[in-house]
Amino acid sequence: MLKLFEKETLSLDKLSDEQTALDVRDLSVWLNNSRVLNNINMRIPKNKITAMIGQSGCGKSTLLSSFNRMNELNQNYAYSGEVHMDGRNIYNKKENVAKLRTQVGMVFQRPNPFPMSIYENVCFGLRIQGKTERRSLDDIVERSLRNAALWDEVKDRLFDSALLLSGGQQQRLVIARALALKPDVLLLDEPTSALDPLTTLHIEELINQLKRTCTVVIVTHNMQQAARVSDYSAFLHQGELIEYSDSDSLFTMPEKKQTEDYITGRYG
Amino acid sequence: MLKFTHQQKQNITSFGTGLSAAVLLIVLLSLVFFIVLKGSAYFWPSQVFKVTTYESGAELGKPVDIGRFVRSASDIDVFSQSIVDKLDAQFANATLTMPQVVVEKVEDVYQINMHSGAAIHGFFEYISTNENTYFSLDALNDVQTDVELLQEELSGIQNNHLIQLHRNIASLNQNQVSQDAPARIKEQADFDYWQSRADILNEKINAYRLVFTDAMGQRFSLYLKDIERLFKPNQLTWVDKLSYAAEKMVAFVSESPKQASTSGGVFPALFGTVLMVILMAIIVAPFGAMAAIYLHEYAPNNKTTSVIRICVSNMAGVPSVVYGVFGLGFFVYTLGGSIDELFYSSALPSPTFGTPGLFWAALTMALLTLPVVIVSTEEGLRRVPKGLRSGSYALGATKIETIWKTVLPIASPGIMTGVILAVARAAGEVAPLILVGAVKFAPSLPIDGEFPFIHFERQFMHLGVFVYDGAFHNQTNTQGSSMMFASCMLLLLIVFVLNLSAIIVRNKLRDRYLRI
Repeated sequence: MLKLFEKETLSLDKLSDEQTALDVRDLSVWLNNSRVLNNINMRIPKNKITAMIGQSGCGKSTLLSSFNRMNELNQNYAYSGEVHMDGRNIYNKKENVAKLRTQVGMVFQRPNPFPMSIYENVCFGLRIQGKTERRSLDDIVERSLRNAALWDEVKDRLFDSALLLSGGQQQRLVIARALALKPDVLLLDEPTSALDPLTTLHIEELINQLKRTCTVVIVTHNMQQAARVSDYSAFLHQGELIEYSDSDSLFTMPEKKQTEDYITGRYG
Repeated sequence: MLKFTHQQKQNITSFGTGLSAAVLLIVLLSLVFFIVLKGSAYFWPSQVFKVTTYESGAELGKPVDIGRFVRSASDIDVFSQSIVDKLDAQFANATLTMPQVVVEKVEDVYQINMHSGAAIHGFFEYISTNENTYFSLDALNDVQTDVELLQEELSGIQNNHLIQLHRNIASLNQNQVSQDAPARIKEQADFDYWQSRADILNEKINAYRLVFTDAMGQRFSLYLKDIERLFKPNQLTWVDKLSYAAEKMVAFVSESPKQASTSGGVFPALFGTVLMVILMAIIVAPFGAMAAIYLHEYAPNNKTTSVIRICVSNMAGVPSVVYGVFGLGFFVYTLGGSIDELFYSSALPSPTFGTPGLFWAALTMALLTLPVVIVSTEEGLRRVPKGLRSGSYALGATKIETIWKTVLPIASPGIMTGVILAVARAAGEVAPLILVGAVKFAPSLPIDGEFPFIHFERQFMHLGVFVYDGAFHNQTNTQGSSMMFASCMLLLLIVFVLNLSAIIVRNKLRDRYLRI
């Protein structure tokens, strides 16, 4: 009962435009001439955590990458459909992709800090935006590192190489790096799969706090993690969106047989 | 039929491969050892022997050839061989008399190093001066100071008066002032006055001489002003020898070659090599890096790109003389010729850029080393982890920003390696350089105080070409060849240092960027 009060679930069918962060319409994606996503329609609610689950190769990472158009870096790539954000189609030809990616941040499976100091890592996006004023950079670096729960550990060695940090610290640094740009949406692609359980717990706590400031979409293989962390969950199978609802109902009483088979470990 | 057990087969394999590696190591070490041994002979003061040839017989007969001072065992061989040849020619129809050679080590013989680079041997007799008085060797320092004072005075007259007066007269000539104009007469009188004073000084200086006797006891004298150094080579201690060698090494890298490149130093060649290589690196590094970035980051992954890649790799295998011929035909004749026609037409028909020179050499070498830079830069780009690119894109960087800020710093060890490999290659190349601008003796350095200070069109000296020339002209002359070995050693040292620095720089950059 207590959990219900905390989470204040919205009905996914009746999301208003203000409550929607991303609106995916008839999205299909082809990579290397094979269809990876097939007619996906979903609305991702604002300031909530949405998890994508499904077995390897089901297209959840591709779907995640469609939200900031990272798929376009692949060589043989084609798509159809639309993704709307703030009332505009991000696949519009006039869309500034670089600017879009500052609004939709992304964190990858393996921590990928740049071979620079911790400070410069956090500043990387800001410097590209052309912000060079030292004081405001200092402020943003501190705020981002605090938000990523890393500040206390690194505040004395901001100018040491980021590569000296441990795996969990590196992953939080990468999150801080994305947060420095104040993104509206943060995409997390299996952010804890390369980390140990305790560090994973740290990151999960962090994700929980992040939804105060932005919408989080997370791809995970870990069912418990999805159940623990997310407000909403989507189950994908072979490029199709099988089931999408609030996590409590998806994990306790899934509507589709396939979903039930997957979350109970009968396949996948 | 021999049959081996499994264990034996393994032993044979490991022995065979180990043997090959050992042979390789021995070959490499003996090459370095030989070059260093031969090259260091140039710096080390050698012993001097007196050699006299007598008619053979039960007792020593009359000397048939004048005695001679020679420096080393190999010289003695060459010396006696030449006498045998001479005798053979002389007594072609008479009975062949084999000469007998007597070699003595004489303790108090002097070696006289001249400013011209020549080394003369003899027994010291006395010092003669202008007062017709004779001094022993103890007075050498005082006498030398006298000569130096006189020479200072002489150069003072030349610099302060004669040059200026000569210029004035030349300008009068140019303005066609008549022979008996008073200004001209005054200038001419001044000039004559100072010239006569200079002549007197010259005479005084030339009166200072050192008199020696040669191996046969005949006297000869040398001007004191021509003598650079005087010492007894057979009585040097180890310390003396070491300090002599050190001085010679300093002179070797700081002086010009003397005596038709058999003594003196190789400074112009060293300077030319370094300058050409720096110019080449400046041309090839950005060009090669950009080509590699295009091939790796922008070019679509299709057949054309792989064909281009294969062509680039094959370019590295083209014989270097072909590049030399191309440089001569295209850069020198075509490009240089057009530049002359466009910008230096007043100087034609004497060419300015339409002749082999420093810039064309650097350009040809840049072309020759381009494949090395492209291949190693691409290697460096390939090493950049994919995650870093996506990380950069995900933070809103465009492709250019990603390449500039993330990819290039990490690929920099690769670029560095390529450039320094190219530099090492260019430092040792000879064939193309002979065709496009390196000469065995250049009258002036490519950089001097004259506007525009760096003269791209000038011909220059190069260590590799210097070694080639030295080896070519000293195939039988062991004395002259020691300088060639010394230059070879220097070349080896330069290439070694460059390669070592490449490895150090690469490891440093790798430590900085690739610890992931």
